[in-house]
This record gives sequence, C-alpha cells and structure tokens, in this order.
Amino acid sequence: MKRKLWSLTFNSSTLVLIPAAIGINYLGKLFAGLLKLPLWLDSIGTCIAAVLAGPIVGAICGAANNIIYGLTMDPISTVYALTNIGIGIAVGILAHKGFMKNIKGAIITGLIVGVVAVIISTPLNIIFWGGTTGNIWGDALYAWCASQGMPVWISSGLDELVVDVPDKLAVVLIVFAIMKGLPKNLVSLFHSDEEIESLDHTDDVNKD
Amino acid sequence: MKTISLYVDKGTILNKIAPESKIWYVIAAISIPALMGIRWAGIGMIAVSAVLLLYGKVLRRTLPFLGVSGFVLLTVLIIQGMFWWGNETPLFALGPAVFYVEGLRYALGILINIINILMSFCVLILTTKPSDMMENFVRRGFSPRFGYVFISVFQIIPQMTDTMSTITDAQRSRGMETEGSLAVRIKAFIPLIVPVIMSSLINTKERALALEVRGFNSRKKKTFLNEEVKTAADRYIQIALPVLILAAAIWRITQWLA
Amino acid sequence: MAGIIIEHLKYKYPGTDRLALNDISLSIEEGEFVGIIGRNESGKSSLCQAVAGLIPSFYKGAYGGKVLIGDLEVKKVPVDELCETVGIVFQNPFNQVTGAKATVYEEIAFGLENMGIPKDEMISRIDGAMELLDISRYRDRYPFDLSGGQMQRMAIAGVIAMQPRVIILDEPTSQLDPQGRDEVFQAVQNLCSQGITIILVEHNMEKIAQYSNRVILLDDGRLIDFDSPQRIFSRGDLDQYGVEAPVYTQICKRLGHKMEDTGCYPVTLEEAKTVLRQRKGG
Repeated sequence: MKRKLWSLTFNSSTLVLIPAAIGINYLGKLFAGLLKLPLWLDSIGTCIAAVLAGPIVGAICGAANNIIYGLTMDPISTVYALTNIGIGIAVGILAHKGFMKNIKGAIITGLIVGVVAVIISTPLNIIFWGGTTGNIWGDALYAWCASQGMPVWISSGLDELVVDVPDKLAVVLIVFAIMKGLPKNLVSLFHSDEEIESLDHTDDVNKD
Repeated sequence: MKTISLYVDKGTILNKIAPESKIWYVIAAISIPALMGIRWAGIGMIAVSAVLLLYGKVLRRTLPFLGVSGFVLLTVLIIQGMFWWGNETPLFALGPAVFYVEGLRYALGILINIINILMSFCVLILTTKPSDMMENFVRRGFSPRFGYVFISVFQIIPQMTDTMSTITDAQRSRGMETEGSLAVRIKAFIPLIVPVIMSSLINTKERALALEVRGFNSRKKKTFLNEEVKTAADRYIQIALPVLILAAAIWRITQWLA
Repeated sequence: MAGIIIEHLKYKYPGTDRLALNDISLSIEEGEFVGIIGRNESGKSSLCQAVAGLIPSFYKGAYGGKVLIGDLEVKKVPVDELCETVGIVFQNPFNQVTGAKATVYEEIAFGLENMGIPKDEMISRIDGAMELLDISRYRDRYPFDLSGGQMQRMAIAGVIAMQPRVIILDEPTSQLDPQGRDEVFQAVQNLCSQGITIILVEHNMEKIAQYSNRVILLDDGRLIDFDSPQRIFSRGDLDQYGVEAPVYTQICKRLGHKMEDTGCYPVTLEEAKTVLRQRKGG
C-alpha cells in the first residue's frame, strides 16, 4: 500500500484501461437508455479506472470520455469533461484512502462523488443552458424553485442534485460489486510503480 | 468498417485540409462571438458553418446533432420563457402558462450559442478522420501512446456494443425481462452489463501485452505509413484564424475602454 | 546466433507465494521447433512470457536466473527493443488487433511505425509478412471483420514484420475453428522453414507431435522433461502431468508396437503406419 497517489508514469496496462473504461461508460449509458432507467450510469468506467489506477488515470478517462462524446455524439458534452475529471479524481482519492473496501465506504464515496458532480456541473449548466439539465424531474424542480423566486444557482443546483446523487450512488455501488469480482492478479497490473524483486541468492559468484 | 466516427470522405476540400486548420475554425467560431458579445456575431458564425457544411456535402448529416440537443433546447425555451428571474413583459399565454419577452430573449441567446457550437464542431468532425487528426498531433510531438488511447476508443466502442447486443439477445432468450416496472428493469441491468465489463477489463491484459511486443513503449522516433493530411492553404488558415480571434479580443477591449 | 539458453529461471507473480517457474534450465537451438505441454497453470504461458521478456518487465514480481537469446540477456533489454529479436503471439486474436488502424495493411505497420522503420522498408516488410502468412488478399479489409484464423495470421504478420529470429506462439489456435486452426499451423510451418526458431504452446497433442523437433513438459512450474516428441509421449507417467499422448501413440501403446529404430512409440499417423506395416511384414 505504499503506492504513489499522483504517479504520472503510465504502464501499458493502464493506458489500455482508458479506452476500455470509456467503452464501459458508453455501455452503461446505452443500457440505461435501453432499459429506460431514470439514471445516466455513464461513469462506471471512469470510476473503475480511478479505483484501479488512481485519480490521475480517473481524470484522464473522464476528460477523454467527454471529448470523444463531443466528437461523435454531442459536442456540448465536451464541456462536462470538467465534471468527469472531478468524478475521476474524487473516486481515485477515496479509493486510495480505503473507502471502496466495504459497502459502507462505497455508499459514502457515492454520495461524495454525487456532490462533487453537482458542484462542478451546476455552473456549466448555468453558463450553457441557463441552468436546466434536460432531465424531466430535475427541470420540474428547477421550474418550481424559479417560480418561488429562488436564485438561479439554487434552482439549478437542486435540479442537478436530484439527478446526480442517486446516479453516482448507483454507479459507485456497481463499481464496488465489480471490484469484488475481479481477479487479484489483474488488479496489480495497474500499479505502475512496482519493483522487481530478485530471487538470485548466489548471483554474486558467477557474475560476468 | 465499424467506428463511432461520423467522418465520411466526400472528396471535398474540407476533407483535404489539415485537421489543425479545422480545429482553429472551431475555436474561432466559439470564441469570436463570445468575445464580441453580440448576438449577430453568433448568427453570422452559424451561417458561415452552414455554408462550409453545405460545401463539404455534409449539411444534412448535422441534423441528428441538432436533434440530440433539440429537446433540451426546447425545455430551455419553455422554462426560461416562463420562469427566468428577469421576466417582466408577458408576450403570450398558453392557458395558464405565460411566456415573457425577457426570458425568451435569454433562451434565444442560449439557443444561438449552442447551435453555433454544434455546427462549428460538425465542420470538424464530419469531415475529419480521427486517426488522421491524431497522427498529425503525434507528428507535432503529442505522445504516440496517448494518441493510441484516443484513436482506439473509436473502434473499441463498436466492438463492445456488438458484444452487448449478443448478451442482450442471449439474456432475452433466457427469459429475462427488460421491460416492466422500474425494479424489474434495474434487476435486468446488472446481468447485462457486468459480464461485458468483466471481460473487457480482463482483456486489457492481453491487449497491453500484445501492444508491448509491437514496440508500444518504444522511445525511437516514430515513422508513419500514411502521408500527412494537409494542403497549401493550411498555413494561411492557421495564421488568419488566430489573427481574427485576436482582433475580436482587441475590439472587445477597446469597447471596454471607450 | 539466436539459440536460447535458460539458466535456473525462477519467477513469482506479484502478490503470490508460489513459484510459477521453478528453477528451469534448458537450451534451444536456432531454427528448432519446440512444443510446450503440461496441464493448466503448469507454467507454459509464464515460460513463454519469460522468453519474450514480458516476465518480469510487464508483471514485475520476483525473478531469478537468466534467459539468454543469442548474447542478449532478456531481463536487461527493454521489451520494445527485444521485440526485434523475439516475437510472441497470444491466444485471442481479437485482443491482438490494436484497434487503432483501419486496414490489415496499416495494422501490420503498427509495430514498424513504433520502431521508426523508414517508410520504404516498412512497405516491403509488410508485403513480405502478408505473403508469408498468406493474407495479401485481405490487405484493405477492416481488421475486426476478418475471421478468427485470418485475424490470428494478421497478428502473426504484425509480429513477423519486426523480423524476429524467434517466434513464440501461446495457444494460438485455442479460440479458432478447425479451419482457422489449420490455416495458422500452415503459416507457422512456413515460418519454421524460413529458419525462424518456433516455440509453441498447444493443447492438441497430434499437432505438437506432428510439428515439434523437441517437446518441453512442464508441471507445477518445473521442467519435467525436454526431449523428442517420441520419447516424451512414450513416457508411462504422462497422465500424472495431465497430458494425453496423441491417439496414434495411445493405440500403439495399447498394442505394444514400438518403432524399431528408436524404441519409442510412434507419435504421428505416418510413424504409426510404418510401425504397423513393419509388424505386418515381420
């Protein structure tokens, strides 16, 4: 557990993990849409990468994820790269601190990540969309708050909160379940800073 | 070829000019109206993008993009039209719903901004092959390993969706319900997605190994099989667009000072 | 020049206590075709990856002893340089497609671009590799659209284009249908006839017997035996190591028919025929 938290060296496994994580994000989003779930579930991969390889890789996944969405499906989603960077960093740090070891820690992680997402997304929602999110329940709440004369940032923050917190909680719980099922030897591949131990005891005798 | 890239080669000049030039166009199209702060500048940029897209023979392919944001834009129009904090002057009423001039005007600003961003992005992404763009970046010194990461996503996602549809079919044939109450649907989500996630994580090991033995971590200077995508015009485009952005910034500053 | 010498090779994967490779010493001649057999987890893949240098550099863990290819000590050479001496092909062809290239032709170029090979040489090497693997006609196809056998041959071509002197194939046909399997074996035989040293892990003992000059038998990370296929498959204790001899050997064992020249049981159809003919005649 003496792994470095902010390591900037990436081995091949870690780099290959990034496209896989983005693919997983995409599948989560697709399945959620297919099953008409009221959640996005589009950050499962980012969170897995952050747990396996730390906050920097989590952040890179989050950023690359939205840049690629932006280039293929929805250009506006590029700006929400910031939110996903935040999610990746938060999950990476919390996992490193041991929060993802038990279900209680996972629930706390989910809640914290949800709040992080709200804090970053709300200003972006206000700048680009005037504060709404496009989610029916969230926007209904926004409309109600606005009609009560609440400031934009409260209406918009609540709009985002009712969508984001349940979503991130669900995502982190799924990630927790997956981590429990992953083979141990796979997990060690993503630690870039391990050393090779020597099993040579008599090596000194026949050195060339 | 399966890829999530929306690029099509129409053989127009837009396909031939360097991806960097088009990236500069996106930056200019977004930043110039933002710097000038005039609604007409945004509308002007939309018109320029539309002409470019028409010329690149891809104008019709931008419609799905507008569709994605169209619904959200509609809610913006409704909610801001009715509830924007600065609303004063009623414009019209639909039953109990009253729409105000100020809110609608505010929503219109959002609309123009979003459509401008969408269309300028389309100029880039509908006419540029992602791997060409990344290869150009790598030629300029971007890390080839991160270049690989970026490009591979475009192919890996379709492969994963293929796996996904296989699994969906298999689970359905086993009688799993994917419709019905929320609880039923949530229960269906887990067995659908967990196997794909597991296998894609386990596959990362073999993929990483296979890349390593093909010099993925090589520190030698990379060479390229394909020729660089660029034209004679690119040099001028890549000077002119930054100059225009700078001009817009200077104009804005002089407005402030005046 | 490119013989392989392994001296007291020991290896533990990180976070484990068991030696995946336990004091293995052997030497392989240049141009030999060597099969590796043994039950699952006996150390076959680990041995392959140790020769290719992926153990220890990729996995880390604990390592002892030496692997020499020619005069290169594998552990001391980074994998990205070593891959011009030794190439390795894995089980699942799908995972070996880089996912960054639009055609078979570009896919094979991937390694060469990384190595900084000049374009002209790159083109001639790709053409050569495609011809050797008999995939020239798929040149412009999308890599993921190929069949398993074609995809695996493309993977081998990608490795061959780096011009290694040794090729390691770790169960290259286990995910393929019979036709794909035959295509790959044909291709591997072509490589061997070019003088390239081949190391092959394979569950199909008939194929091992048919192609190998010598066979490595592993169990629990230890080298049990390294000998001709005839001698290996004539051992009486094979089932102890979870290995079944080829059917021809089993039949002749049952009948007690040994080959006159070697005193071993036959391992291929041809040898079995010869023995039976001799018996009939004698």
